[in-house]
Amino acid sequence: MTIALHQLRRRGADRFYPVLSALVALLMWELLARVFAQTYLIAGPVEISRYLWDHAGLVARAAGITTFAAAIGFVLGNAVAIALAVAAVLLPSLARLISALALVVFCLPLVATGPILRVIWGPGLGPQITLAALAVYYTTFLPLMVGLRAAPPSWFDLVRSYGRGRFSALVEVRAMASLPYLFAGLQIAAPAAFLGAMFGEFTGAERGMGVLTIRAMRSLDVAGTWALASTAAAISMLAYAGLGRLSRALNNGPPPLILAPVLEGERRARWRALLHPILVTLILLAIWWLSMEAANLSPFFAKRPADVWAFLITAPEAAAHRATLGAALLETLVLALPGYLLGLALGLGLAIVLVLAPKLARGVMPVAIALRAIPIVITAPLIVVALGRGPAGTITIVALMIFFPSLVACYQGLARTPRQVLDLFDSYAASPLRRMASAQFPAMLPAFFAAARMAVPAAILAATTAEWLATGRGIGGLMALTASTSGYKMLWSAVVVLAAVAVAGYVVVAQIERAVLRIYGAEQLTR
Amino acid sequence: MQANAPPPIQCRDLSRSFGHAGARVDALEPVELHFAAGETTAIVGPSGCGKSTLLRLIAGLDTPSTGSVRIGGETPLQMRQRAALSVAFQDAALLPWRTVRGNIALARKLARLPPDPASVDRLIALVGLAGFEDRRPADLSGGMRQRAAIARCLISDPRVLLLDEPFGAVDELTRARLNHELPALWQGRGVTTLLVTHSVSEAVMLSDRVIVLSPRPARVVADIAIDLARPRATGAEADALIANVTEALAQSAPPRPQPA
Repeated sequence: MTIALHQLRRRGADRFYPVLSALVALLMWELLARVFAQTYLIAGPVEISRYLWDHAGLVARAAGITTFAAAIGFVLGNAVAIALAVAAVLLPSLARLISALALVVFCLPLVATGPILRVIWGPGLGPQITLAALAVYYTTFLPLMVGLRAAPPSWFDLVRSYGRGRFSALVEVRAMASLPYLFAGLQIAAPAAFLGAMFGEFTGAERGMGVLTIRAMRSLDVAGTWALASTAAAISMLAYAGLGRLSRALNNGPPPLILAPVLEGERRARWRALLHPILVTLILLAIWWLSMEAANLSPFFAKRPADVWAFLITAPEAAAHRATLGAALLETLVLALPGYLLGLALGLGLAIVLVLAPKLARGVMPVAIALRAIPIVITAPLIVVALGRGPAGTITIVALMIFFPSLVACYQGLARTPRQVLDLFDSYAASPLRRMASAQFPAMLPAFFAAARMAVPAAILAATTAEWLATGRGIGGLMALTASTSGYKMLWSAVVVLAAVAVAGYVVVAQIERAVLRIYGAEQLTR
Repeated sequence: MQANAPPPIQCRDLSRSFGHAGARVDALEPVELHFAAGETTAIVGPSGCGKSTLLRLIAGLDTPSTGSVRIGGETPLQMRQRAALSVAFQDAALLPWRTVRGNIALARKLARLPPDPASVDRLIALVGLAGFEDRRPADLSGGMRQRAAIARCLISDPRVLLLDEPFGAVDELTRARLNHELPALWQGRGVTTLLVTHSVSEAVMLSDRVIVLSPRPARVVADIAIDLARPRATGAEADALIANVTEALAQSAPPRPQPA
């Protein structure tokens, strides 16, 4: 009886903590807004509510349009992701190629893709839907690839022992075994779809949340900017929570920890290691060229690989083009890199603090997981409004973009330390710090690096978005300028260079990961 | 050869090594083995000696480095494709999202046999799981899962049964009970059975013949006939045979390295 009562109280506490911390956060927000009303441009919850009350119809219509585009993009992007992952599993020899192509497309800078899609699609929902689909397919593809391979070998032996092949294994074993992973991916994808749709609206849509956001920011409407960002965040969090609920209803057991598989897996002969990236590049260029030709797109705005090559390498002014692009890129990276490192370090640091102080974690983690659902980039205008157009604003946006996913990944990674290992440390009465340094930290490393890899394209996205929308500097600013002056050669070149930089950054982090994990135990290397 | 008669199993020059030149591990040295039709043979050996490798090669789940397996003149693949072969796995390999009934029915589906709910329920009762038809594996004990796995093996009415330490993960008492109850289900039904185990008493109690393998790379070090009447019970005769097999197993191990 007392035990039941205790459990009841405990369950009540588990519900109570997140509510309490959400209330505290709201209160602190309101306080900050009032205290710093003179120095920073922050709108508190009260002011936001008033704005939303006054503009309910306008905001509701815009949210409806954006949600509609996001939903269509969500369905299309995920359908492609599922098809790609299934193809990779049914044709193992193509799996690496499919994964590599998927990664490169994921590294495309959404910011610059927007205006290009706008001229290709013309007015309407086309670019919003395409960008929403582009924003979600990788977050679903990656966990699905892990999930489709997550079943124990004896389950596949069972299928084979009756003479059945890959297709039966897919239907009877992999499909169900991958469901929790698929839902974990879909959950992250829901807010990402909303982000993609808003991005599409940033670049010349007539209606939607993105349009209102740009308008509010340009006219320095503080309450409006904050209200729109809050609405977008609320919709994202609702979608995230709804999918989480659906996932819990369909799957039992906790959601799996997704470690993004490192692309460079098995040891291969040197010539093959070199050949593979070249092959992937060639196939990508072919897809690019063929799709432009097949759709019969005007060479004025739909540049082909040869145009970019000429623009950067063979044209008489190529050196000048390279200098412009290089200088802008450098300006961006100088801000993106500190923001990236800061976001990772803060996420890692807070995760460690929360594991050492579990009581605190009960309140903070639900809020952090919820905040992870907010596509931070849509808050870029608001941070720029608050912190100004200097480097601090851009660095903050990049750091924030990376902070929440890193925090959640590191926290889950720390919790993954095997129970017996912790018992061993406890049996020697080791201090929590010693336990952290010797047991939990090494066990967390794969999760940390998985987050660090995924954060590379995110950092570039965040930095270029801030530049595009607000500061007008760096490669984001350059792209905004060339998009408005129809400088499509420069725009396409910037897309190519940024995608290449993101892929290179991803590969560098993967190399560091391999080196570190080799020291901390090869069995932790994710494939 | 009759389709319904149990086939003999012939392993010629069968070996398996992993890795490639430089870092090669021999899991199984070339062996010649013959298993008579309808007999139950137990394969015992120390952990990691390659007994499971041998079983996987016979099931055709793994490809031999040299040699071949013929089951009544057919390849393992041909046997598998006409669902004449069933494997019981160490970890039961029940799919967690299917019920006991669903897991057993899956074998008929994979074997491309028409559904037969009556047989499924009869087998569930025979292995002692009546009342648990609609439970999922997570709700079952280790012993109950192995009972379900055995029922799944038998639902396709195989001619060859390959058991890979099927009772390895359950406690000693449960194991003794499973050993007592389950073999009657397939013995006398015309099935050639191979059982891999590291339990000497299990091998003696269940089989007509015990093959003892050496530590890696595995070689056959003893081949002992078990001429005990069924149903079997412990006693002086069985104890003597158990001592025999244990002795062979001990002799198979290489001498411990002596300090120079």
